[in-house]
Amino acid sequence: MSTVLLDGRSLTPHDVWRVANGAAVELCRESRNRMQANHQDWVKLGSPDVLAGKEAWLLGSTPEQRVSSPQRLRAFVESHCAGVGEPLPAAWVRALMVGRANVLARACSGCRPEAVDILLHMLNHNVHPVVPRLGSVGAAGDLAPLAHVARVVFRLGGKAETEAGILLAKEAMSTAPEFSPTSKEALSFINGATLSSTLAALACVRGEKLLATSETVLAMTMEAVLAQSHCIDQFALSARGQRGGVEVAQRLTEMLQGSEMVRPDRQPDAFSIRCAPSVLGAAQDSLRHVQKIVTRELNGACDNPLVLDGRLVECGNFHGAPVGLAMDQLKTAMTQVATLSERRTFRMTHGDLSGRLPSFLVEDTGTNSGFMLAQYTAASLASECKGLAMPASVDSIPTGQHHEDHVSMAPIAARACLRILDALSEILGIEALCAAQALDFRIEGASFSADGERQNGERLSPTQAVQRAHKAIRNISPSWTTDRVLHLELQASTALIRGGGLLHEASPW
Amino acid sequence: MSGIDIDGSRLNLQQLAQVARSGRQVTLAPHALEAMRRSEAWVQSAAAGEILNTQGHPRAIYGINTGFGSLARLKIPQESLTVLQRNLIRSHAAGVGDPAPRDVSRAMVLLRANALAKGASGCRPELVERLLALLNAGCDPIVPSQGSCGSSGDLAPLAHLGLLLCHLESDPDSETGEAWFGEERLSGREALQRAGISTLPLGPKEGLALTNGAQLSTAFAALALFDAQQLIQLSEIAAAMSIEALRGVTRAFHPSVHALRPYPGAQACSANLLLLMAGSELTDTVSGKVQDAYSLRCTPQIVGSARDALTHIQAQLLVELNAATDNPVICMDVDDEIKAYSAGLFHGEHVGMVSDYLKIASSEVANLSERRLYRLLTAPLSADLPVSLAHSGPGLGLMGLQTTAAALVSENKSLGWPSSVDSIPTCEDQEDHVAMSTTAARRASEVVRNSLLVVQIELLAASRALQWRLKTEGPIALGCGTRAALNILETLPEHLTAPSDALEHLPPLIPAILDAVAERCPDLQNVGGSP
Repeated sequence: MSTVLLDGRSLTPHDVWRVANGAAVELCRESRNRMQANHQDWVKLGSPDVLAGKEAWLLGSTPEQRVSSPQRLRAFVESHCAGVGEPLPAAWVRALMVGRANVLARACSGCRPEAVDILLHMLNHNVHPVVPRLGSVGAAGDLAPLAHVARVVFRLGGKAETEAGILLAKEAMSTAPEFSPTSKEALSFINGATLSSTLAALACVRGEKLLATSETVLAMTMEAVLAQSHCIDQFALSARGQRGGVEVAQRLTEMLQGSEMVRPDRQPDAFSIRCAPSVLGAAQDSLRHVQKIVTRELNGACDNPLVLDGRLVECGNFHGAPVGLAMDQLKTAMTQVATLSERRTFRMTHGDLSGRLPSFLVEDTGTNSGFMLAQYTAASLASECKGLAMPASVDSIPTGQHHEDHVSMAPIAARACLRILDALSEILGIEALCAAQALDFRIEGASFSADGERQNGERLSPTQAVQRAHKAIRNISPSWTTDRVLHLELQASTALIRGGGLLHEASPW
Repeated sequence: MSGIDIDGSRLNLQQLAQVARSGRQVTLAPHALEAMRRSEAWVQSAAAGEILNTQGHPRAIYGINTGFGSLARLKIPQESLTVLQRNLIRSHAAGVGDPAPRDVSRAMVLLRANALAKGASGCRPELVERLLALLNAGCDPIVPSQGSCGSSGDLAPLAHLGLLLCHLESDPDSETGEAWFGEERLSGREALQRAGISTLPLGPKEGLALTNGAQLSTAFAALALFDAQQLIQLSEIAAAMSIEALRGVTRAFHPSVHALRPYPGAQACSANLLLLMAGSELTDTVSGKVQDAYSLRCTPQIVGSARDALTHIQAQLLVELNAATDNPVICMDVDDEIKAYSAGLFHGEHVGMVSDYLKIASSEVANLSERRLYRLLTAPLSADLPVSLAHSGPGLGLMGLQTTAAALVSENKSLGWPSSVDSIPTCEDQEDHVAMSTTAARRASEVVRNSLLVVQIELLAASRALQWRLKTEGPIALGCGTRAALNILETLPEHLTAPSDALEHLPPLIPAILDAVAERCPDLQNVGGSP
């Protein structure tokens, strides 16, 4: 994987995703220079002790002068280490670290380039602080998660996951360059909703992949149920003019070009098929909006106070609201994709709705239950998505001495979004397995009477795009003739989808 | 700890927790055998085609000689009956997601064994004995925690248990599931070998008997309820400590007040608060203060409501713990004739609804605790306690922990969305209303876990606040129960400046806190009769 270059301005969700998955990171020269100059501005301002200032503001008193700066710095970082619960996965911690490094590289925080260097050194040497999962409200930023990172970076305590296992901070950092933060750097390390924005970045990347995958799976299902082609008519969708819908229809038209199965002379389909371009298109448009917000956030000065043109400016840039709202929107969009897919699985497994396919897509039903439980699993997951989709950002609970009296709950929204995407991968995996099985019958020309009697029908060939997807599924899961352990097939198809194995050719991946 | 024996009618919550978490041994009660043998004999004769319909043909009986779900319309020939049960387990093992925690997996196994011990499922006692052998050996199935709708029971999760216990030893390609044994996660085959347990090929109806009930839901819910009972106890102790630390007014808890609106939960809670604070020289000492904020004054109304909720939840779950949840059930008719009844006893609705209720009750306990915590730490509200209890040095004291508590209670609100209001038709519209109890119960256990964390944070803050009062305001007597709790909490190392470190040290102290408080206040009223 090629190295990601940080400049504080052009980090993309895809870059964050690559770093999360192990890519190396460098700071670009211009950004280094800008940071240096910005730091000098802070020095010219008299290197104000922002930690003392923040303490005084929050605690409503003048901090004791006898406390030395290193003592205050340690106490400040440690007292923010208030996370609870299981540790975040290392990939998420990497995302968090590169995201915060890029915020500092924006050169509005008064930090030296060394503050970024130390984070990048850790990333490039696989030193990942142990960060508890819960405990941030995403409003003076993701304070607790970032403080757990800072505690290790500053060698104050805590633990880190390394190639040699989980080590105490001192040992984990033994080969890292010395770094002794200024008060401003200590504050800037933790003061922003960067866990939220970087988890949101991962969600954007996974969401984009899954949306593209859902189009391929939809094409398979449309052939499998002998759908009518009107519903992907580009003129129809263009007449409505929603951009996402038009694009989905275009891609499906390409994938189903010349289809022997999907034709204009079929009967109109149920909504889970007929309205799929509208629903997936709406999800696509939501995702585009969310990507815009998240990309902006990744490159924004999500910090406070800022050092701007020689002034120290107190602002509220740390607040996670932009990301919280965006994630709640993506949750809704992806839940629609999930519930739509589940209904198509239901139709394919339903003997009366699938267009003369056998109940549960298996012959010798009765002794075999075929894909019966696959649909249950999809239904259960779709239902779980609905629960997870409840918006987190509608809540707010006053914190921080009445000063932080409105908070974003953005990290809760972002984590829930990633869980929805996990479920969506499973749900699409189930639909793809069912569609592949249904296509087997179409290819053989097998048709089934209402009581499951096999009859000879027309042998039909899938389009090339659908054949490719069908083959990808068949490589991991052979045709279903007698009952097997479904769990293993579901695992395999989910892994295929997560790895991008069902992306269509038009997708940018 | 002596073992317990099960007969399908007298398993309680505490025994369930002990078997699930402390490895208490279990046997099948000898007196359960008779009913089991009787229904088993009937199933054997049905499977042999000896039970006839009015036309004199072998009668179709669901799941014995028919397909499953909507496929019940199909009759299965005699020679395929063994394959039918084996295929059921294989095709139904369709779980996804992370494994359920090990204690939940164990509770699920015990609950299924107890349901079968009732003798209404027509399975052999050997099947129950084999399940108990797994439990007693600590050979615990890996059960994916997602993918079940809880109707017709937790089919997929229980089928994963079936893979472990009923795979074909003779077939090297047979999928054997996975299990924990000792600290290791092994293939089912390997785990059984190490535990010295042989598999049990399924007889007629036994695949169905093993899978047809909402036991994963109930396992999650029952253990969460058990923990929620502790949550209530701890929250009352924490509330008493906070009320003292905030120099609260105790009149709101007077028995004559609560006699006027006699909810049992509120009465028990207020009585406990008075007992815990009995003898305190901190309460009722601010002249001119007539009443406190709601998070103090209304504790009996809110925690009491949660107590009443838990009473209902426990009553429902106790029924479920000792119920036959299967279909069809084989039972004695009025004319003393055994018959198979196709019904809906597997449906997870009971468990789903009370799990959603448990989420509400636990969330509210935590919500209240978080607001008291905020008062303890926030300047104009804290009766002159040092701001954020940051008196012992630089830094922000416990401010970060209040943020954490706020995040946890907010997370609970998202988790609190009731899963049981949803239903998605399954199985060709035959199972057209499902419970979603598994999701409800799993999320209930998350809510209880989050809520316990919040109350622990309050305990930590309240103990620091009381310590400050004692240090700066001279020797003051504390309440009888709060003193006992503080004695234990004082053993926390004081140099733990990172709150997350302190929170790592606190949970092991909880049993000692509960014991010490119970010793000083033996009249405390517990929730659900648990210790």
